[in-house]
Amino acid sequence: MEPNSFSKKFIFNEKIDSDYLYGLYADDYVYIEEVFATTLQHFDADFERLKAAWEEGNLHDLKKAAHKLKPTFGFAGLTAVQEQLKQFEDLCQNSTSTAQLKSDYTRIVTTLAESKDLIASEYQKLKVFNANPL
Amino acid sequence: MSWSCVIVEDLQVAADYLAKCCEKSGQVEVKAHFTNVAEALEYLNKHSVDILFLDVEMPGASGFELLDQLAYFPKVFLTTSKSEYAYDAFEYNVTDFLKKPFTFQRFQEALNKLTQSGGDNNISSTAADHIFIKSDGKLVRLNNDDILFIESMGDYVKFVTPDKKYITHNTIKNLEEKVNRQFFIKVHRSYIINITKIDDIRENDLYIKGHEIPVSKAHKQDVLKRLNIL
Repeated sequence: MEPNSFSKKFIFNEKIDSDYLYGLYADDYVYIEEVFATTLQHFDADFERLKAAWEEGNLHDLKKAAHKLKPTFGFAGLTAVQEQLKQFEDLCQNSTSTAQLKSDYTRIVTTLAESKDLIASEYQKLKVFNANPL
Repeated sequence: MSWSCVIVEDLQVAADYLAKCCEKSGQVEVKAHFTNVAEALEYLNKHSVDILFLDVEMPGASGFELLDQLAYFPKVFLTTSKSEYAYDAFEYNVTDFLKKPFTFQRFQEALNKLTQSGGDNNISSTAADHIFIKSDGKLVRLNNDDILFIESMGDYVKFVTPDKKYITHNTIKNLEEKVNRQFFIKVHRSYIINITKIDDIRENDLYIKGHEIPVSKAHKQDVLKRLNIL
């Protein structure tokens, strides 16, 4: 379905690239709710993997964890976070130790935590929306 | 449904989305989903599928390692979030490369490549009792029954018959799709053999008319399964 051929009834948070989201799922809000639910269900484990790799100073695992998290945010319409993770993954690729990445790591961890909260809040809004169709 | 598929993807949201795309297309039936290469390989070596949706970076072995160990070669769609794999995708002769997340339209375009590239013709090409190879500036007909084995030589392969060897520009990977699977089986990344020509098998090698051919650990079970062992 073309993104413009349906009405966009749900108002997503401005940080979510809604056009991108509609491009993936059209106006299947029930499925978008499922996507957010699945994302939240698996986020903590993937996030912990990233943090554990950092604690261990394991650059390879840090890169792998960032790589796995990256599309997760694309599927949730957080394309800016996806891009930030890509840049972080590239930094891991081009660095020789985690020490060089301290400020980038701090930034990405903050972004990820905020993004999880955002997805959780949108998920709740969508649940209500889907339970009460107009 | 036209095709059966297996999804190998460790990201749940991506696997779910892919399954949804398959269902929406009405052309692809998802037979199974695996989050790691080892489990996928075990399934795929027992069950033949038409399409493999394969993530590249997964815990443990990579998607490419799975392709190295597969006993046959289904149509492969690589799904990854990294475009750097495009070159490897080409090397492995994959049908398409889907960069995650992709739209349903992009998915449909990928499926269209199956019909365009003659995905359905695969059966007729493998059902033939002979192949033609280009060797010494001419097309040479080789009957399946005459070929003992095919050996990789970098960018070339060597077809060995009882009385002659033919060298031609090709790869084992490409040939896996072209040869008749009733007769031929990949036993090692560098060898495809004619299963009907095996004289004996020892620990990690098999013998065909005095030629010693290595059998990789990954392929040994498949070879043994194909033999008429009493």
